[in-house]
Amino acid sequence: MIEPSYPVTAHDYSSDAEELGSLEDALEEAPRGALVVSGIAVGLLMIGWLGMYFLVFLPRGPVG
Amino acid sequence: MAINEDAILKSELRWAIVVGGIVAVILIAILYAALAMHINPPSNREYVDPKTLHLSAEFTEANLGTRVDPNGQVVARLIATQFEFVPNCIVLPARTPVTMRITSPDVIHGLLVSGTNVNTMVIPGYVAQVHTTFTKTGDLLMPCHEFCGLGHSQMMATVRVVPPAAFHPGPGGRIACGNRG
Repeated sequence: MIEPSYPVTAHDYSSDAEELGSLEDALEEAPRGALVVSGIAVGLLMIGWLGMYFLVFLPRGPVG
Repeated sequence: MAINEDAILKSELRWAIVVGGIVAVILIAILYAALAMHINPPSNREYVDPKTLHLSAEFTEANLGTRVDPNGQVVARLIATQFEFVPNCIVLPARTPVTMRITSPDVIHGLLVSGTNVNTMVIPGYVAQVHTTFTKTGDLLMPCHEFCGLGHSQMMATVRVVPPAAFHPGPGGRIACGNRG
């Protein structure tokens, strides 16, 4: 049998339990990362909206 | 943060509270602008016959432009037509409540005054009316912003906002760009 010259698995875990443990560790970080990304996106959107409101919209004066 | 259903629900609840707070802030800002700063979309339901504007009491050629009414109200009357505003320059005082009344004899037009919140559509058969107070002086561009035909891009006028001390209406309370009193 010819041995492949590349790794057949990304990680060589010695047991299923170790692999599941690593997977759980990675998944535990996922919600925090999603909150950070969405928080930055929504935060930038709000800064833009409030900037337009206070620096452009209100100084342009009353209308009706 | 453990990856279980409780943690996910808690995370979604926190996010819902944040989004609810953002919506509340935006609504409060809009209400503040409307109620305290008097910034509202111009709305006026008033009909006029577009076929006889030149015969109407208000929008005859001699009555167009800026006039100070006997009660002190500054009113500018304009006609938006393909492809110009009549008159194409109006004088208005800064830091003074003014009213602009505009109508069209032909197609739908629109106007905005650059650097201000003045922005309205001008629809044949209706009189568009905008109340505002200009905060800055200078020549402000007023283009048509509703595509009205081949000459649309050439359709623009000037709003000359002058300091109140330089606003001197002539006889009959009239004032025009070539005549600052």
